Amino acid sequence: MNDILTVNGLNKSYGDFYLRDVTFSLPEGCITGFIGVNGAGKTTTLRAILGLTTKLSGNIQFFGLDFDKNEKQIKDRIGVVLDDGCFYEELSLSEMKSIISSAYTSWSEQDFKRYMDMFSLDPKQKINTLSKGMKMKYALALALSHNAELLIMDEPTSGLDPLIRSQLLKTLIEYMKNGGKGVFFSTHITSDLDKIADTLIMIDNGRIIFQEEKDTLLDTYRIVKGDSQSLTTDVRKLFLSISETDFGFTGLTKQISEVRSCIPDVLIERPTIEDIMLGNIGGEK
Amino acid sequence: MMLLALLKKDFLIVKKYVLIMVVVAALIPPFMRWRTPEFMGDFGFILSVIFSVFMLLQYVSIKEYQFPKAATYLCAAPFSRKMMVLSKYVFCMVIYVLCCVIYGIETFVLPGLGALDIKLFALMFLAISAFIGIYLPIQYKLGFDKTKYIFAVIIIFSPMYLPVLMRMKNPGLGFHSVLPTYFLYSSIVLIGFAVLAISASLSVKIYTKADLA
Repeated sequence: MNDILTVNGLNKSYGDFYLRDVTFSLPEGCITGFIGVNGAGKTTTLRAILGLTTKLSGNIQFFGLDFDKNEKQIKDRIGVVLDDGCFYEELSLSEMKSIISSAYTSWSEQDFKRYMDMFSLDPKQKINTLSKGMKMKYALALALSHNAELLIMDEPTSGLDPLIRSQLLKTLIEYMKNGGKGVFFSTHITSDLDKIADTLIMIDNGRIIFQEEKDTLLDTYRIVKGDSQSLTTDVRKLFLSISETDFGFTGLTKQISEVRSCIPDVLIERPTIEDIMLGNIGGEK
Repeated sequence: MMLLALLKKDFLIVKKYVLIMVVVAALIPPFMRWRTPEFMGDFGFILSVIFSVFMLLQYVSIKEYQFPKAATYLCAAPFSRKMMVLSKYVFCMVIYVLCCVIYGIETFVLPGLGALDIKLFALMFLAISAFIGIYLPIQYKLGFDKTKYIFAVIIIFSPMYLPVLMRMKNPGLGFHSVLPTYFLYSSIVLIGFAVLAISASLSVKIYTKADLA
């Protein structure tokens, strides 16, 4: 499987925040979730790979092409949805579309109309009269109407109600079925990724924590619940994070067989992506 | 094509004010002719150009300042930052040309404004090139808000330096009519283009290195 995006050694400073040696790749044919808490570096990474912010160092390749040397050609092949729309809000939907559409060589008016109809958007409506969910749908309609091979989205589901989030995720699945080569989207709402993601990349404090296929990741970790008295110093080392209450402890581990042999009388559960994300950020130990 | 789309964008985001500016640009020369007949229509033309270019550029800048992420979004599309910058210069020049056309038509319709004077157009082109040649790189470097304050200070202190300029020999409003050759005015236009080219390359350099909102 070819990689459609490769990021190698990306470094960037933003005041006292740093992206440190960010390295990952997006395999073709996958929906990749980019997870991390607020301020972890998701938006900065996305902006750096789109050339919206300068980088200190690092190499970025889309479709095997160097971004710095082929920026225009690459941007013509990707669809972008930035957080909160990013439009001139006093324009109508058709006016904003008329500006954006002229930038793309493969703009399809037919596709745009189809998405506008699908999302029940009126081209004459002013952007500032749209709800947050409608703006996101409009942004998605623009991003998907020029035969984009890769869709990059920054927090597309943030602040949306469950119905609109569900419609959005359905559209992404359809996009992949219709020949999209990849979707890369950042989010801190991990339940969306439970539904559609194939691969997950986690970032925290400007560093990539892991890149893994979702199913492998969910198979690797386990939630362990038991009596706090069984937590010796050596046992604690087997956990990525532990939270304790008067009733016992809950911990996340990758070393399930070792934990089982040390404390046989524990309850073991399959974690969610959120459990894994929070466990990797670190908790009490 | 992309430059045209960005130019269209600038006009779209200030569309409410464009018609007002056209009307004002048309009214200023006959009004000034009425108030200051000694300057024919020249003074009115100068004012209409300054007013139209400055005000519409300000309105565009206000809208860009109001929706900073919109420019980021355009840069995430295949619009290059270079084109984004160049479109601003072209926008100002289009307004200037529009003012020239309006004034040109008026000189035919209203004989009191005097004859159509290419020399005046050339001098005004240099003046407006110098203005946006200074203004736009400063705005790209410092942002709209800080630039606004800097130019507000310049305007506030203008009563201090304007009288000095007015007292200078050959204050200027009529001197173009006595200058001898078209060669001189061709040179003035060329200098105007050179100022724009240098300024635009500086603005492109600044905007290319900027971290977008």
